[in-house]
Order: sequence, then structure tokens, then C-alpha cells
Amino acid sequence: MSVAELKERHVAATATVNALRERLKQKRQLLLDTDVEGYARSQGRAPISFNPTDLVCCRTLQGHTGKVYSLDWTSERNRIVSASQDGRLIVWNALTSQKTHAIKLQCAWVMTCAFAPNGQSVACGGLDNACSIFNLNSQVDRDGNIPISRILTGHKGYVSSCQYMPDQETRLITGSGDHTCFLWDVSTGQRVSVFGGEFPSGHTSDVYSVSINSSNSNMFVSGSCDATARLWDIRIFSRAVRTYHGHQGDVNTVKFFPDGQRFGTGSDDGTCRLFDMRTGHQLQVYRQEHDNNDIDTPTVTSIAFSISGRLLFAGYSNGDCYVWDTLVSKVVLNLGTLQNSHEGRISCLGLSADGSALCTGSWDKNLKIWAFGGHRRVI
Amino acid sequence: MQANRIKASSSVELDGGNLPETGDIKGKHRIQAEVKRFEQEARFLEQELQELDKTEKVSAALEEFLRKVESRPDPFLPVTTGPANQSWDRWFEGPKEHGCKCRIL
Repeated sequence: MSVAELKERHVAATATVNALRERLKQKRQLLLDTDVEGYARSQGRAPISFNPTDLVCCRTLQGHTGKVYSLDWTSERNRIVSASQDGRLIVWNALTSQKTHAIKLQCAWVMTCAFAPNGQSVACGGLDNACSIFNLNSQVDRDGNIPISRILTGHKGYVSSCQYMPDQETRLITGSGDHTCFLWDVSTGQRVSVFGGEFPSGHTSDVYSVSINSSNSNMFVSGSCDATARLWDIRIFSRAVRTYHGHQGDVNTVKFFPDGQRFGTGSDDGTCRLFDMRTGHQLQVYRQEHDNNDIDTPTVTSIAFSISGRLLFAGYSNGDCYVWDTLVSKVVLNLGTLQNSHEGRISCLGLSADGSALCTGSWDKNLKIWAFGGHRRVI
Repeated sequence: MQANRIKASSSVELDGGNLPETGDIKGKHRIQAEVKRFEQEARFLEQELQELDKTEKVSAALEEFLRKVESRPDPFLPVTTGPANQSWDRWFEGPKEHGCKCRIL
């Protein structure tokens, strides 16, 4: 086939794909007969009502000397690892506020960190295009630093996100600026699978976030600068299972819903969204005007669901941290305006394993622990 | 870095442009590979269109969704289904932080 004929085929194939995407979009629109808010209100649901002192900041974890970029809780409840612009990981006992480890990184430009399921190792990644693993029980070197126990190299762009597979110390998923996600075997340092890249239905721009389904750890979702989220099955790396459209800007953060059937996203377009994993439907858009009338809409930097999924915690670039009632799509509290709140952007947040505490990390260099301190009625 | 993320421009729409130079063997192979990827993508999209014919509307799953959310105990809710766990309140039994309220009133 001549180059000219090939070019014609290229143009035709492009037009076909664009037309099919448009048909899909319209067909999906016909199936959106309601959303979560519409249905919940029709069933008489009212917004959750908090008293002013119900949610309190009960710890401030101070120690980083730069912006906090990422945090992760252990699965056994009380410990947190955080990553900062100061080029360090710190491991905290959140209950006592004590630092148990401070790890100086070879590459200071860290973007993400994660705790291994057994709480004995931490992983981090960033602009070095690699994911470094540290065993917290290692003997320190003569400079007092914990040595790297494994370095995972292979990405052709920065590592923006990483998460261990639940109950598997040796399997880790990373998201990268090279548009792909990788599954790694940490024990050998080898890449097991690539998701995206040369294969069709991969992301077409940087991946910013990944979230593994805790109910079915074969599935994970990724969020990208290409304004989509994509669902992957680790057993089928040749294509994405599904692509979720709707956002009008970069998808900065993705997080599975507690039931593992849905997931949330947060974006540069200022909204959070809830998608149904199986059907692909966009179930709800969480969109709110912000008080200070910024000319630029504050972007969503990070999200987490409460353990039932009734609440969605969302951090924004202007320092707000909205608590959304996910059923009625209403902001019921703004942690950013509470006493003792952060003084800068909230860049990351996460819920403890038992759902009793929320940790927020901020550009003000601190982490804060929030919990419900009011009167609780159990029905 | 100005931000904690490097923001790249996104490329969502395919415009069919930016094709390699003609007469370049490597360019020809690249175009061929791209055409194959788009044709494969088209097949996946057609499959998805067919699946959508069998997909229920949004409302079909929402009753179950509400029931699931409301049946799970949640330490952050002022009113929650049980059982509650005493350890939920451990954050208020620890050392007080200077200037911070950390006792249940």
C-alpha cells in the first residue's frame, strides 16, 4: 500500500473512531434517566446535618519542611507515611503524633507514597521516573538513612501515583507521566504488565492517579490528564475494560467507592463525579460554587469516601476541603473553614482503615487528623 | 516545579493530523501502526455500543446503591447504623494537642 493510500486509511479510521465515540456518548445520555441526587430526594433523603463542633482536628503532625504531596495509611489503622517537597518520607504514629521514621530520598522530587499491606515497607515515586521501596526494619546506613531495598525502573515518565495490591506485599501498581500504568513484582523488581502505551484504549496523556478495587483486586482504575478515567483488569493488559468520559479537564484523583462497584473522580474542571464501574454510567456530578469567587474555578486535588460512602471528602486547590453528602449532592461541611484548619492547599487526603479518622496533607507542610467528636446516635 | 503536578496539554480529539513525512520508511510503518490501533479501537467501540443495548438505565441500580450506603456503620456520621466500635473514639483518648479540642464535649 502506498503512503498516500495509508494516509487516506488513517483519515478514514480517525473519522470512524470519532463518529463511534459520539454515538456512544449520545446512546449513554439516553440511559441517564436520573442521578443519585434525583433518586435519593425522591425517596425522601435529607442532607446529613453536622453541628459546628462535630468534626474536629484532633492532631496536627508537624515535621516536614516542605509542601506535603502524598500520604497513605497502613491497613492496621494508626500509622501514616507522607511524602514532601522537602525530599523526605516520614512515617507517623497518628495516634501519638510521633515520627517513627524519617527517610531522606535520593531524588527529592517525590510525588507519591504508599504503605505495603503488612506495614513493613513503604514505596515512593516521582520525577526520577522510578518507584523506590524501603524496608522500615532495615539497618540504617552510616549517615543514619534507611537504604533503598528495591528500585523499580522502566517508566519513561514521572511516577505520579502508586498503590500496593491489598494483601500482597509483592505487587504494586504505578501510574506515570508516560501515559501508562505498570504492575510490578517488588520481590524481583520486574515489571509484570503494562496498561496502555502502545495498545489501543490506553490513556492518551499523563496518568495522575490510580486506585485498586479492594473488593476485587484484579481491577483498578486510573485517572489522567486526558480527562478520562479508565478501568483495567490486571489479567487483560492489552486493553482498558472501559473508559469513563464526562470531565472537562484533567482527572487528578480517582478512588474506589467502599462497595467496589463504583468509583469517584476529582478534576481540574472543579467537579467530583461518581461512576458505575460495571455499566459505565456517570451517576452523579458534585459541583459547588466556592465562596471567594475565584476567577479560576478551584481544582479538585484529592478525594476519599467515608467507610459507608455516604460522605465524600474533597480537597481543592484554594484550601477548601468539602464534605459532600454523596446521596443528596450537598456540601454539608467545609473542613477548610473549621478551627485549626490548614493554611494552604490540601494536596492529599485519606481515610484510616477503620474509617474513624481522615488525614489531610497540605502545602502548609502539615498533616492533620480529623475525627467525629460529637454525639453519635447508633440506630 | 510550580505545582505538585506537571500539567501537560491533553489530547482528547483525534484530528488525523501530525502524520509522519511521506517517503520515510519509518514514517510509513508508524502510520500503519496507528491505523491498526484506530481500527482496533473502532472494534472495541462497536462492542461497547452493542453492550449498551443490553445495559439498564441509571435508575435501575440506585435502590440497591442507597440500601448499601445506609446499611454500613460509619464513624463519621452523627446518626449511623450499628454496631458501633469503641475504638472509633480512640482519637479523643490520646494526648491533647496544644490549642486543639480533642475531647468529646
